[in-house]
Amino acid sequence: MAMRRTLVLFSVLAVSAGAARAEDGPLVPHFIDETRQAGIDSTYTGEWEYMVGGGVAAFDCNGDGFDDLLLPGGAVPAKFYQNRSSHGSPLSFEQSRSGLELDAVTGAYPLDIDGDGHLDVVLLRSGENVAMRGLGGCRFERANKAWGFEGGDGWSTALAATWEKGASFPTIAIGNYIDRYEDLHPWGSCTDNWLHRPAADGTRRFGPPMPLKPSYCPLSMLFTDWNRSGTPALRVSNDREYYKGGEEQLWHVEPGRDPALYTHQEGWKTLKIWGMGIASTDLNGDGFPEYFLTSMADNKLQTLAKVDPEGTPQPVYRDVALAKGVTAHRPYTGGETRPSTAWHAQFADVNNDGRADLFVAKGNVSKMPDFALKDPNNLLLQKGDGTFLESGDKAGVASMLSGRGAALVDLNLDGLLDLVVVNQSGPAELWRNATERAGHFVEIRLSQDGANRDAVGSWIEIRRGDTVQRREVTVGGGHASGISGWHHFGLGDATSADIRILWPDGGTGDWQAIKADGFYSAIKGKDGAADRIEAWTSTPTR
Amino acid sequence: MGMISRRQFGGGLLAAAAGLDFASRPGTVFAPRTARAEDRLAASEVILTWYRLVLELVRHTPTYSPPVASRAFAYLGVTGWEALAATQPGLVSLAGQLNGLTASPAPDATRACDETAMLNAALAAAVGHFFSNTGPTGQRAIRKMTARLTARVAKGADPQAVAAGIAHGETVADHILTWSMTDGGAVVENMGFPLTYALSREPGRWTPTSLVQQQQMPLLPGWGNNRSFATPSGKTCGLPPPPDYSESPGSAFYREAEEVRDAVKTLTPEQRAIARFWSDDPMLSPTPPGHWLSIAMQIAERDRLDAVQIFEVLARLGITLADAFIGCWDAKYRYDLIRPITYIRKVMDPGFEPILNTPPFPEYPSGHSTQSGAAEVVLTQVFGETFSFDDATHVADGIAPRHYASFRAAAEEAGISRLYGGIHFRSAIDRGLEQGRCIGAYAARLTMRG
Repeated sequence: MAMRRTLVLFSVLAVSAGAARAEDGPLVPHFIDETRQAGIDSTYTGEWEYMVGGGVAAFDCNGDGFDDLLLPGGAVPAKFYQNRSSHGSPLSFEQSRSGLELDAVTGAYPLDIDGDGHLDVVLLRSGENVAMRGLGGCRFERANKAWGFEGGDGWSTALAATWEKGASFPTIAIGNYIDRYEDLHPWGSCTDNWLHRPAADGTRRFGPPMPLKPSYCPLSMLFTDWNRSGTPALRVSNDREYYKGGEEQLWHVEPGRDPALYTHQEGWKTLKIWGMGIASTDLNGDGFPEYFLTSMADNKLQTLAKVDPEGTPQPVYRDVALAKGVTAHRPYTGGETRPSTAWHAQFADVNNDGRADLFVAKGNVSKMPDFALKDPNNLLLQKGDGTFLESGDKAGVASMLSGRGAALVDLNLDGLLDLVVVNQSGPAELWRNATERAGHFVEIRLSQDGANRDAVGSWIEIRRGDTVQRREVTVGGGHASGISGWHHFGLGDATSADIRILWPDGGTGDWQAIKADGFYSAIKGKDGAADRIEAWTSTPTR
Repeated sequence: MGMISRRQFGGGLLAAAAGLDFASRPGTVFAPRTARAEDRLAASEVILTWYRLVLELVRHTPTYSPPVASRAFAYLGVTGWEALAATQPGLVSLAGQLNGLTASPAPDATRACDETAMLNAALAAAVGHFFSNTGPTGQRAIRKMTARLTARVAKGADPQAVAAGIAHGETVADHILTWSMTDGGAVVENMGFPLTYALSREPGRWTPTSLVQQQQMPLLPGWGNNRSFATPSGKTCGLPPPPDYSESPGSAFYREAEEVRDAVKTLTPEQRAIARFWSDDPMLSPTPPGHWLSIAMQIAERDRLDAVQIFEVLARLGITLADAFIGCWDAKYRYDLIRPITYIRKVMDPGFEPILNTPPFPEYPSGHSTQSGAAEVVLTQVFGETFSFDDATHVADGIAPRHYASFRAAAEEAGISRLYGGIHFRSAIDRGLEQGRCIGAYAARLTMRG
């Protein structure tokens, strides 16, 4: 098929935005399970070494604009699915050979490591991690040796990446879990996390990995500019089940310096949770990200609590999960009263009303009787007052399978976010978002010349009247799940919006008007020129 | 019963099994393993090996709040003791001395019974039962521990004696498990937090102190009704009420709150260290009763106690810790007292921030104080009033060992740590220690030697 797609879908996707909100609350989206019809047939399986992990990667590896999927298999090889969907159509995928089909994969994160315009993928594994170079056309080859990427022999469960100032190669943090050879007494056996920084000689490869000591069995990591300093720090969410003396961590990672933990003297407070996933977005519009941390029973929603008189944020957070209605501590349907187990979390606007909603994948670790065995995923819709309303069951995504990784992405480019969830010992599930009367939207891709072509570390700002939505562009977080592609924004009633990009080098573009319901490439201006915001079109080659 | 004699310290390490070197990681409490794989395990090694796993399982099984943990410790200790008492002359069964406990079926008198195999089988069965709700890692560790220890204790032993030992150990474990099912604490749902509970609105009553949704209800409100072990009931060793609730400056209640507020504001490094040392948070430590169990285990290893000595300590200690939590919980829900953080923030200082997390249940008396008072009495009776020891329970968590001149000194420090931590008033600590000492006397009076 070689049809031309023009993705400024003003007429195709015109919606009655005035109906985006029900009178008594946010519009509940409608998801249709299309797993089987779409051709997805994948199970994350395995024993103890695969009780965690199960992260999905969603990324466009053939340049057609449609996100393809890599689904890990745990003890069996991962499966790669090329997206064959059309605009607004039912979802359709075709399993194909990509080179990514390794076994022992626990999670995957796409990013363009070498800046060649083709997305690469880092495969987290129970065993050697592998950096796979994208060759275009959804083909990949092993690049550990070429890039000096030491894969180690750990049980890797988290990844975060950034481009440090002036670097032509990324810095990748890898979170390593328990010493998997400790079978009698694995508690306290957390292995070292690694920081892969660019080689010191300036060549486009990694130097030897640096241990991030102390390491406390993370299940999620995220480079994030929490204080808007321009230099992301590394947030690490750790599983207290296995560490001794550990806690949640925030690392200074500054160019030319060894990483250093934020200390209690700097304001960082001890928090010990079964840290399993990180989601972030600026929920309250103060310019700083909130962080949702998944755990068992209660989950946490952290908001920045302290800004000193000079306006400098301090790394002090307040838990507002209870106040906002996102503790998500217990199943809300299915009859179970035991507490929940939460994994992947992601903020995204599933009904295009202009407010970030929250998806949480749920599932028992492995028949733990203290916790719910029928543990439905959460879809928490943000209301006008900033609190959230559970709607997973009404929306159709309250699966009782044992969720792990997930991704909310627009798989058929209709402006509505679809959902893929990887389950432990159960089939992966794929839902198409078929919400009627949703709000308007825009979807944005970033690009710039040189290294870091996808502008990781940028902030995208979308302005509607007095409201500004801000999104940090990151690689990491969630639960072992990486997404690289369109940045989706719901616009509610607005038929247009203004956009500007705050680029990783500190440059700030001018506000530019765009129409709703379109897909745009934001291209960093060169030599002082204005950024270009171009309606995105594609001629797929498949 | 006479005191267990104190042996020379630092005399060496318990020989334990190669292949069971789980305690050899730097920073762990227990000494590195030195024995060769072919060595047969001593019964004492088997006991301590299982109990080390138990302390980890307690930490990593979410239902195991301190009261629930203490219950498991009691049954494990009684299991071991009853197995020994049925096979060794001069030992007295606890049947008829503990509420509802009947005599275990007697072993086959015609067959020699291997003690090590018996204790291993009894503990494997009991641990498997009491930690049946632990997670996949704990389940895996129990399975592997059972397999490896079972193989090791059989090495070089008379197979028939081993088989007889296993049969008796499992029979005793089954007998104790059956007894345990009727005590009121066998089923713990939602990690001990009731789904519904009518909170009092009267001034001075407990209100939730946490932002955790699950903890908007208090922990285990019915635990005080459970069948106790050596005490007649949870009401035994009742204690006087706390000072009358008042928000008036100068009142006794106000003064106690002032003391907590001021202590937290002016903590010395030593006081802060004490608060941290005895914090013993559930799911981040072996819990407060596990802390006392750890102390007993460290002494057992250091002083090379034999199997009978170890179980005499672990059974009495487990029993009194469980009784302490039943008695303490009975009083907690009788008085339903407000926590310092709630009172101080309301009446004195809205910005009050104690250094410890306030537990999600009523204040009076202090559970740590009650159970420490009980442990003090039992351990003092066994080891003596001036028995000094080092406590390295939390060394793997980066908390330095502390030295104590006596069990009383340790108990009193455990009690006052809750005031330094900002989670208890003085009365809860003082009356808690008194309540615990009263409860401890019941376990201390149990007849275990003929």
